[in-house]
Amino acid sequence: MIKGRSYWADSLRQLRKHTLAMYSLGIIVVYILVVMFIYLANWTKTDVSFLDWNQQVGKEYEKPNKQNILGTDFLGRSVLRKTIYGARVSLTIAFWASIISILIGVPLGAAAGYFRGFIDDIVVWIYTTLSSIPYILLILAFALVLRGKTLNLNSLGLGTISLSGISTVYLAIGLTSWVDICRLIRAEVMKHKQREYILAALSYGCSNSRIIFRHLIPNVFHLIIISFSLRFVGFIQAEVILSFLGLGEKNSPSWGAMIDAARLDLPKGYWWEMTAATAAIFLISLALNIFGDALRDSLDPKLKVQ
Amino acid sequence: MAENNTLLSVRNLSTFFDTEQGPAKAVQNVSFDIKSAETFALVGESGCGKSVTALSIMRLIPHPQGRIVSGKISFKNHNILELTEKRMRTIRGNKIAMIFQEPMTSLNPVFSIGFQIAEAIRLHQRKKSSRAWSMTEEILEKVHIPDAGRRLYEYPHQLSGGMRQRVMIAMAISCKPSLLIADEPTTALDVTIQAQILDLLDELQKSENMSILLITHDLGVVAQRADNVAVMYASKIAEQCSCNELFKNPLHPYTQGLLNSRPQLGTRQNRLNTIAGNVPEPLNFPSGCKFHPRCPIGYNDKRCQTVEPELREVSPNHYAACWYAKK
Repeated sequence: MIKGRSYWADSLRQLRKHTLAMYSLGIIVVYILVVMFIYLANWTKTDVSFLDWNQQVGKEYEKPNKQNILGTDFLGRSVLRKTIYGARVSLTIAFWASIISILIGVPLGAAAGYFRGFIDDIVVWIYTTLSSIPYILLILAFALVLRGKTLNLNSLGLGTISLSGISTVYLAIGLTSWVDICRLIRAEVMKHKQREYILAALSYGCSNSRIIFRHLIPNVFHLIIISFSLRFVGFIQAEVILSFLGLGEKNSPSWGAMIDAARLDLPKGYWWEMTAATAAIFLISLALNIFGDALRDSLDPKLKVQ
Repeated sequence: MAENNTLLSVRNLSTFFDTEQGPAKAVQNVSFDIKSAETFALVGESGCGKSVTALSIMRLIPHPQGRIVSGKISFKNHNILELTEKRMRTIRGNKIAMIFQEPMTSLNPVFSIGFQIAEAIRLHQRKKSSRAWSMTEEILEKVHIPDAGRRLYEYPHQLSGGMRQRVMIAMAISCKPSLLIADEPTTALDVTIQAQILDLLDELQKSENMSILLITHDLGVVAQRADNVAVMYASKIAEQCSCNELFKNPLHPYTQGLLNSRPQLGTRQNRLNTIAGNVPEPLNFPSGCKFHPRCPIGYNDKRCQTVEPELREVSPNHYAACWYAKK
C-alpha cells in the first residue's frame, strides 16, 4: 500500500540523504542547544561554572594553555566562556530579526503580488526607497533612533517593552531587511496567481484572504524557509558589525563585541580572542549556508526530480 | 421558479479586455438560455470567447484588465451582475460550479485532495470537519474513484490526469450545484478517459438533476451529449439551435464548414476539408460579417463585407447570424 506522500514529506526524505547537510544541521542544533541552555540557566538562576563569563580565571592575556583552552582576555576572563556565552546574543538577534523581517515582508509581498494595482504601487515604492539607502547606514540610523526607547505595545495587550541593547539590534535589523523577502514573495505570488488552481479555488467560492493565506502562502512557504536559513547568517554578521561599531549589546559578551575588543590587542600579538570569536561565527555561517543550500535543493519544486 | 424552467439566462453579454491597443472585444452581445437539467453546449475555435463567457457567468473575469461592459445574467431570476462580491461567493461553488480544462494544474499541489474537497464543502455548508471528511469520501465514490478512503490522503501529483479531473468534478458537485460549467473538461485527456469523464458527467447530471454548460471545440462531444448548441465565432454567436437540428441542417456557412471538416467514417478521404484562413484577432475584427473573409458564399458580397448580420430566427427555434441563411 502506497501512503500519500506530501510535498513536505518528500522533501524531508531527500534532505535526509544529504550527509553534509545533516552534519551542518547537527552543528546548528548544538548552537541552538547551547543558547537554550544559557537561557534556561539564567531563568532558573542556576550557577553553571562555565557560563560565568565575568569571573577572573587567570592572569590577563594568558595564552591558550591547558587550564584555559582559549586563553584569557585583558581582564583575565576565559575566552572560551565568553565565546560560548556570545552565542546567546548572536542567535537571539538573528532569530528575532528573521521573524520580524518575515512578518513584515511576507504579508506585504503577498498582498502586493496578489492585488497588484494601488497596493502594489505603495509596497514597491516603500521597498525601493528602503533599498536605495545603503544597508549599514540604515541599520545604524535605526539602531541609534531605537536605542534606549520604550516601545508602547499596550494597544496589543503586550505592555511596554523597554529597548535594551539586544532588542534594539534585532528591531533595527528586522525593520530594515524585509525588503528581499518581500520582493521574492511578491514575484512568486504573481506567478502563482496565474495558475489555474487559484482560479479553481475562486470558482468554488474562496475569498481573497483565504486565497492568500490558505492557497498562496503554503505554495511559497518553501521560499520563506530557505530565505530564513540563508539570511540567518547575514543577520549574525549584521550583529557583529553593529557591535563592532559600538551599537550592540553592552552588558554581556557577543562575538561582535569580542572582535571589537580584540581589534586593538591583535597588533600586540594577542590573537586568541579574535580567533575564537571568528571561528564561532565561521562555523555557524558555514553550517547554515550548507544546510540552507541543501534545503533549497530539496524544497524547490523546480529543482525536484521525481 | 421561472416559467418554462429557465435556470440561467444570459442577455446581450459583452465582455471586453482593455489592452494598450484599445479594448479587445472578447464577447459581444451573447444571449442564450439554459433550462434546468439540460446540457447546453458552447462550441467554437480557440479564442472565440467561449471561456470568457463562462468566466463572466462566474464573475471571475481577471481584474482590472477585463470587464463586463453590458448585459444581464439571470440565475434563478437574480441578476448575477448586480450582486455584491460577498453574495457572489455564496453562489460560486455552491449554486454554480466550474471545472477546468487542465486537470494537471487545477488542484493545489501542496494539499491532499481530501483536504481540498472538504474545503469546498466547509466553505458553503456548516459542517463539522469530521462530517465534511466523510462526505468527501462519499463524493469521491460518486465520481468512481476506486479505494476512495485511501485516495483522500493522496496529493495531486500522485494521481493521473483522468483521476484529477474526477477530483475536480467531485469538488464541483460537492455542494450539489444547479449549474455546472465544464470548460473543455476533456481536452487535456486521452480519448478513452474522455468518454469516461463525459459518461460520469451524464450520470451525475441525472442523479443530481443539474444543468451543464459544456464548453468545447469537439463536435463529437457535442453530438453525443448536448441538448442545445450555440456556435460561437469571433466573440458572437453564429448559430444556435437544438443539437439534432445543428447536425442535420446547419445554416451558417461557418457551421457547415466545421461539419465538413470532420473526418467521415467509412468514406475514403485524402485530406480533411478545412476552412480557409484564420480566426480573426479580437483587436482587429473584419468589417461587416466577421466570417466574410473566410466565407465561401459571402466572400465577394458587398452586404456581407459592410453590414454585420444579426442573429435571427430562420426557422422555429433555429437562429443564425447570416444574410444567406434560409430554411
